[in-house]
Amino acid sequence: MSPFGALREQLHDAAREFGGEDAVAAILSGMVDDVDRALREELEIFPVCHHSPASALAMARRLRDKRPSVIYLELCEDLAPLLAELRNCRLPVALQAFANEPDGHPASWAPLSVIAPITEASAEYQAIAYALDTPGVEIVLVDRSTDHVFQWERREPAPDAPGPDVPPEAPEEAALHGDAVGLEIGDLRPGFAELESYLLHHGKVRHWSEWWDQYVEQPLSGADYATYRQVMVLIGSLFRRLRPSRGDLGRDEDRERHMWTRMREHLAATGADPASCLYVCGAFHAASRVEQFGVAAAAPFEITPRTATRWQYGLIPSSHSAIEAQFGLASGSVSIAAATFDKALKRSRVTPFRLEGQKGGRKPSARKSAAAPVVDEPAADRLSGFLSSPPVLDGLDEAELLGWCVDLVRLARRNGYLSSTADAIAVFETSILLAGMRGRARPTPYDFQDAAVTCIEKDRVPGRRDVRHLCEILLGGDRIGEVGYASLPPLARDVLDRLEPLGLDLKKRTIQRALMNLDADPALEPCSRLLWVLRRLLPGGTVRPIMGSRKLGERSIQESWDLALGRDQRALVELGYEGVTVEQVLEHRLRRAVRDPKATAAVALEAVEDALLYLGSRRFVDELGARAVELLAAERTVDDAPEVLRRARRLLAHYRATEPELPEWCKAFVAEGYAHYCTLLPTAFTDDDTGVRQVAAMLGFLFGMESLALSLGCDHAQLELAVRQAHPEAPAKVALLWAARSQLGLMSLAELRGRCDDLLGNPLVVPSVPLYMSGFVQALEPAPALAPVVVEVMSKAFARLPDRVLLPWLPTLITTLREHARELVPVLVREAARTFPATLPALDAWVPPWSPSAAAASPVLVADAPPGPAATLLAAHPSACDAIAALLGHPPGWQESPAAPAGHAEVTALLARHPVALNAISAVFTASPAQGTRLAARP
Amino acid sequence: MTDDMLRAPAEVKYAEELDWLESVDDAPKPFSWRLSPKMVRLFVLGSEPSDGLDREIPQKWFGDRSFVERSIVTLASDRGLLLIGDPGTGKSWLAELLSAAISRNSTLVVQGTAGTTEDHIKYSWNVSMVIAKGQSRASMIPSPIMTAMEGGVIGRFEELTRSTSDVQDALISILSEKYVSIPELDDDNIVFAKPGFSIIATANSRDRGVNDLSSALKRRFNFVRVPVVTNKRSEAEIVRFRTAELLRRHRIELEVPPSLLDILLQSFADLRAAAASATGDDDRLESALSTAEQIGVLEDAILHSQFFGDRALTARTLGGSLVGSLARRSPEDLAILNKFWHGVVEPRSKKDGADPSWQGFLEGGRQAISTLS
Repeated sequence: MSPFGALREQLHDAAREFGGEDAVAAILSGMVDDVDRALREELEIFPVCHHSPASALAMARRLRDKRPSVIYLELCEDLAPLLAELRNCRLPVALQAFANEPDGHPASWAPLSVIAPITEASAEYQAIAYALDTPGVEIVLVDRSTDHVFQWERREPAPDAPGPDVPPEAPEEAALHGDAVGLEIGDLRPGFAELESYLLHHGKVRHWSEWWDQYVEQPLSGADYATYRQVMVLIGSLFRRLRPSRGDLGRDEDRERHMWTRMREHLAATGADPASCLYVCGAFHAASRVEQFGVAAAAPFEITPRTATRWQYGLIPSSHSAIEAQFGLASGSVSIAAATFDKALKRSRVTPFRLEGQKGGRKPSARKSAAAPVVDEPAADRLSGFLSSPPVLDGLDEAELLGWCVDLVRLARRNGYLSSTADAIAVFETSILLAGMRGRARPTPYDFQDAAVTCIEKDRVPGRRDVRHLCEILLGGDRIGEVGYASLPPLARDVLDRLEPLGLDLKKRTIQRALMNLDADPALEPCSRLLWVLRRLLPGGTVRPIMGSRKLGERSIQESWDLALGRDQRALVELGYEGVTVEQVLEHRLRRAVRDPKATAAVALEAVEDALLYLGSRRFVDELGARAVELLAAERTVDDAPEVLRRARRLLAHYRATEPELPEWCKAFVAEGYAHYCTLLPTAFTDDDTGVRQVAAMLGFLFGMESLALSLGCDHAQLELAVRQAHPEAPAKVALLWAARSQLGLMSLAELRGRCDDLLGNPLVVPSVPLYMSGFVQALEPAPALAPVVVEVMSKAFARLPDRVLLPWLPTLITTLREHARELVPVLVREAARTFPATLPALDAWVPPWSPSAAAASPVLVADAPPGPAATLLAAHPSACDAIAALLGHPPGWQESPAAPAGHAEVTALLARHPVALNAISAVFTASPAQGTRLAARP
Repeated sequence: MTDDMLRAPAEVKYAEELDWLESVDDAPKPFSWRLSPKMVRLFVLGSEPSDGLDREIPQKWFGDRSFVERSIVTLASDRGLLLIGDPGTGKSWLAELLSAAISRNSTLVVQGTAGTTEDHIKYSWNVSMVIAKGQSRASMIPSPIMTAMEGGVIGRFEELTRSTSDVQDALISILSEKYVSIPELDDDNIVFAKPGFSIIATANSRDRGVNDLSSALKRRFNFVRVPVVTNKRSEAEIVRFRTAELLRRHRIELEVPPSLLDILLQSFADLRAAAASATGDDDRLESALSTAEQIGVLEDAILHSQFFGDRALTARTLGGSLVGSLARRSPEDLAILNKFWHGVVEPRSKKDGADPSWQGFLEGGRQAISTLS
């Protein structure tokens, strides 16, 4: 017979009194039924709530008393192999399942990531530690697999969860979990916001964690096991029954069906005695009403197969603040729970379970409970007593509160507050007053926090942390976990091993500075190479070069790095899911990038460059290069032409400088590119969607690599034909075409100049002249020889165009030049410097070389003919030169032979007075004495 | 009695309620407090069925419960209470309610201004009497603060940061030593504060930096920051509550349609969002857009409807009042309101299924903008 009959009657009466006989009575008696049912189950159900010190304490006690041989735990079944790794870590850490390439799930969900954080002050950790360290005890994870988490996600949209207690202005540690889906054992929170706000309002508390602490944690912390169990199931049942009708129970019920099915399967397979087993689940699931509930149930449940997604498993560091941020808990609540657990342990003298070799925290206790299992008494009604009497609250722990006040004031002073002993006294007094006002004898950490803010916080926060944050630090602080070396994936271990020569402790959470003098210590070269690969693979500032660079053709002599591998352990662990070494991961990523359906030739060339820089494998580079050729041949647009040109130029320069011969793929790329761009050129010229920059880049490729292409068997006629076929209409492209024709010799410079002058002279065309100039500016890249003409055209335009036409175009010119500064600006500036005078005074007298007056004013300046036998000969027989000059259209004219320099009169006079030596020399040359004299007259 | 006053202080207005609370309050009371801290909270925040009282106590101040608790606890401690916040967040109202509940006197107020002197905080002299009878306690004029000290009640200091630093510092000795000495007198020259004396000061956070409090004074005050109410439900409650009070005061029988209240709240929420995303002061309305401003807009609209309209509040009048109340600078504020009217109000009024009042609101506002421009 049920022990809860009396309670049920009492609740019925209460419901009748409230007037809502049917609905209220059904809920109230239903709750009692749920408790009754859970307690009568043959397999002992242990209801827990996440981050509840009371649950952890009750679990530690119960495990010592009962010493079960099998523990069933509400945790994804495929995470089981990770549990043993926990002992290498410092908690909190999170068990993670990760899949980069979903197969069977929508691709847009990638990467799939599920995490289940484990803290030391939790019931699940107690169960895990007990099971792993006690011989003969088995722990079985029975919840659906991580794959099903996503399978069921798709089937049913998530219900409206109550909002987080805190705004998501999270500190750095709060982002430790990334955007993973969080799983918790024993998620216990009202299913709809109205109930929660009602409870908070009437509980006179600010947030859910505080309500839970005041109304459940504290009353249960000293309660016996039977009371604990009954109350937890009751609360689970209450939240289960008070759910909005639109809220879905389906997923939770499916999980319960899954768990019970798995437990029954395990019991049948191993023949374990249900009486020696313990089922640890959230209180919500303990009050389950599915037909599969109980070991005696026979209702079937079909567990769907997993998808083909390949899951990777590992541990990532977690932190209290990350858990709070992920599960919408009030800031500091997990830290406070941990501190409460420690205190409860001391007070109740319970020895908690702890994995052997676990890092951080307390030392494992040597004392082991060897007492015989306690025989349970039949369940009695503990609920009536619990519900009818006010909770027994702790008395004031004056010493503890004083300690908090004094420590807080000290902490506040260190953080820039002008706090003093007087503040400590005020905080102490205010805490007690606040607690009294809120109906408690003993101030909770939340009362203390409020009092501290009231007394110490003034109009501004002097340092980085405000008083509220300081209280959190004081009451336990954020604890950040660390995954031990042995539990890291092979890639992460490999990275740490290979960086060992740096002599840094890379597990530290602070940023480590690595200094490398590669000339003095070439042994560090491999470290540098590895760091560059990590820099390429890891996001953000995990590995950040301060000095040094890695580009084709460059080599750093010294490098300096900021390494935050300890802080960003998660990034490194997740990289480990992709391969065994970073090189393998990079190779895989590059290969995936070039095989992507959306990959372009530019992407492939980038991959080639990366492979050259970071991997240096000739075979792999050739493979990527061959793919670049394929992609280029298949491309139908020329959007990427500027990028292709830049990268192709850089790679060619690299190969020419480092290797005797170009690799085959490179030759093929140039030949293919020449043919490809020739084919697309006429369309690109006329197509409105193709920009001038793209066409200019195509021409740049064609002209710049023509000699190589021709040597590889391409035909120049193809290019010439392509240019002839181009009939652009847009002014900028027309200008570009003129430049191309001029470059190919299809248009003379005089004709080009003439056309430009016509443009400026035609008032109807003047408004579009800037567009032509834009084309000419772009033409600097494919035809740098045209630079003088471009400078000339621009100068004329600046001189003659009206402001209303010129000014609106200037920003376009500036932005274009800025965007392509590397290619265009040096050519233009060099030419302009050559053309324009360098000094201000010279500017006054300067006449542009292209102006007709300049041509007329200054006769053609010919350099002095070098004296010598040739000049003498030509001067002696001028008719041939005169004929050539007439042919070229120049009037014939001869320079006077230069007079002997005046500065050496004494020498000349001396030689004239003593001609013997000269005559002797001229005799040697068998020349006449007169010639000898002329020779001597030269300096 | 309240009928003779344009605005009765809280202790007069809620005298009957306070009497009743005092009669049922059996909890221990600090010093000479008239109500226990829990009852003070109940008076300010209103009662719940779970409080087990025989009658309902309406809520008078709307905001976070913990602010009120922290304020009450501070007054029970050794320190003064400084309520700090944006204009129109209800600081003075909370101070008045607390004084009324604790000491049944909320009128001992010093108003901080640039012209406030130390005499206003301590005492001054009746010059004629001094000439006639010499300096004595009879010829001394005690300040409201000194009166509060003598009576063991709460003294109030409004806009503390508006007065100059040397004047503010006169409070240091009052808050520390809890007495004021009168060196001009030979005997009976110290006024000691009786138990129960404390000070509630208010300060406008927008005045920060004008006359900053000295560190010595800061540590004698507990700061409670009162934020702008952004919760729509609470704000609606406040506006409704205060408007009802104003209507009563003006003896106006007029119904405020809920749809118009929604429009007002929504417009302020939109304007606040716009102000938060503005980059410079010129892109931001000069108004703080506080709840008090909303009440001001509604009051203006009600009075306008009552005396110049057809005694019914319309959306058109509300639109006009909103523009009239918020447009303080020309052309900056008008430009912002014009942009708001065309960018936010107009789309709202044209949305399918929109409340037809939006159309009237749109027209009223537009007309006001064109009149003011």
